[in-house]
Amino acid sequence: MDQQPPPQPSPSTVPAALTPTPPNATASSSDPSQQQPQQQPPLSQPPTPSPQQPQLSQTSQIQQQPSQPFPSRTPSTFPSPNLNPKPLPKPQQPPQPRPALSAPQPRIAATFLRPWQQQSSHFINSSSSSPSVTSTPAPTLSSQPRGSINLGAPSSHSSPSPPSPSPSPSQPSPFSGSFGHSFTGASSSNVSQSRPPMQGMTIGSHSQMRPPGISAQHQQRPLQSSLRPPSLPNSQSPATQNFQGHGSMRVSAVGSSTPSTLQTSQVHNQPWLSSGSQGKPPLPPPSFRPQINSPSLQQRSHIPQQHHSSPTVPQQQHVSSPQLPQSSSLQPQEHFRQQMSPTPGPPQSLPHQQPPRAQGSVNQKPSSLATVQPSTVQLVNQNKAALTETDESGGKILTKRSIHDLLNQIDPSEKLDPEVEDILVDIAEDFVDSITTFGCSLAKHRKSDTLEAKDILLHLERNWNMILPGFTGDEIKTYRKPLTNEVHKERLAAIKKSIVVSGVNAKGNLGKVGANILGSPNVKI
Amino acid sequence: MSNPSAGTPSKAKAGSSQPSEASFKRKRGVFQKDLQHMMYGFGDDANPFPETVTLVEDIVVEYVTDLAHKAQDIGSKRGKLSVEDFLYLIRKDTPKLNRCTELLSMQEELKQARKAFEVDEEKLATLE
Repeated sequence: MDQQPPPQPSPSTVPAALTPTPPNATASSSDPSQQQPQQQPPLSQPPTPSPQQPQLSQTSQIQQQPSQPFPSRTPSTFPSPNLNPKPLPKPQQPPQPRPALSAPQPRIAATFLRPWQQQSSHFINSSSSSPSVTSTPAPTLSSQPRGSINLGAPSSHSSPSPPSPSPSPSQPSPFSGSFGHSFTGASSSNVSQSRPPMQGMTIGSHSQMRPPGISAQHQQRPLQSSLRPPSLPNSQSPATQNFQGHGSMRVSAVGSSTPSTLQTSQVHNQPWLSSGSQGKPPLPPPSFRPQINSPSLQQRSHIPQQHHSSPTVPQQQHVSSPQLPQSSSLQPQEHFRQQMSPTPGPPQSLPHQQPPRAQGSVNQKPSSLATVQPSTVQLVNQNKAALTETDESGGKILTKRSIHDLLNQIDPSEKLDPEVEDILVDIAEDFVDSITTFGCSLAKHRKSDTLEAKDILLHLERNWNMILPGFTGDEIKTYRKPLTNEVHKERLAAIKKSIVVSGVNAKGNLGKVGANILGSPNVKI
Repeated sequence: MSNPSAGTPSKAKAGSSQPSEASFKRKRGVFQKDLQHMMYGFGDDANPFPETVTLVEDIVVEYVTDLAHKAQDIGSKRGKLSVEDFLYLIRKDTPKLNRCTELLSMQEELKQARKAFEVDEEKLATLE
């Protein structure tokens, strides 16, 4: 876990550390947890809510490591997941021996949680600690998860856990309490289900978490889809749904965390990463935003809390810069945060990101791409990698159902073999993927870091011979006169001259007939 | 089809847009009123959705723009843009081509009629 040690020195680094944790989660699952517990004891010492709050905000980006925000509360078990990149605990973290963390991690990971954390922890500890995780989650969850991201926690889960939140009052973040409740419920429920919430969280993790998360994703999807009706088609829904689910769970934490996790998950594309949706919430902040802003009041209430964390974001961003995956994730987070502050940002952000994710249908892409997303290009690249995984894992662009609907439109009596449907889905996904990729290269060529509708339209028009009216906006395509060389013009003039001269001569010599014959070429020319 | 009539305005538009390299900010709703009536004539509701009208207008503008660009490509080889270039481009679309030739021939007839009318007036004047 390279990410974890570096962040320690500064709070900004913390986020960076967090982000790496998820990917490293599987590899060094023990490390993050180890660090976390190490972090926590030091963290527990600084009781100040301020550090916690920034941590919380950071936690949103976090990687599974539950620890840091909780330090005050759960000194014992928290491996201090990098969730709350507390400035104080950070420095302490690196020195702490990682192996030590491993032991507490399973518990801590389980407890903290954030639903996605749990899942990640599950993944990490899947082999070993799953039972321990389930047992421990209740106490730890209450403390940490609240502050952190409730990425995976479906709304349904949140209800049952009122008792658990109580222990978490120590959590600095105001929203944590509310989150905690929802989270705890979710977490507890999630603990058992741990996998699903985590998966729901990030699209990236999505792919990684696939095996366990698929069920969770499905659960979350209905939630998310209800939240975000407008833009996304089925394919987009999983990504968005995850975000929605996350958003509903914990607005502040999620916003930051999800984008980070998403990115991280996407970046790493490692199965164990999914469990590590940890610190970095998947990118789709833009998609997340609209979900968060529009659908739930809960989210809105949490949003102001996130604003608190927003200052921490810049720190995080700085930290992440050294690390590519983090930076990309951070940027979206940052954008996300920025977007959050203005609140109900244009719902466009959502669709925009999602298309890049290659989850939207082609038709939707131009519209969704219309909005500008600075980190979209980066996100897209990351997403592409992640998307392929997600698609396989269940983050489909096109479901069998939509294939059936299309078929009905063409011919109600037609039937398709299941293999044919599968291959059609694959073709659609590959198409969306290739279109998005090329569109991004065109956007880059345009010296812009935003994927816009015109990039996609140009590609389709030139390479696929597909004209999509209605998306061009207010611009008319300029006409360029065919470039003619001076040399060519001179040659043509010389030919004409010679014809005229010869025609005159012919007239004089040959008479009218010759002139007519010679004259006709002139006319034609 | 109103191609011939649309052809002339399109020529004018193409001519105006050619010199500048920057893309024009095109006005939205240029054909809105006329298109609504035309859509009604083709079977749509008497009051179609504004989005539908906008979409149809986008389609029309894109088609005309594309046609003008291609005609210019052909005309530049000949030297100048002419009606023949447009007729050449729609040669594969029989209904459009027929309508275009019909409208062009009608235009010629009207010209002749006006000319004859003027001549008649002159004759009457001379007779008187």
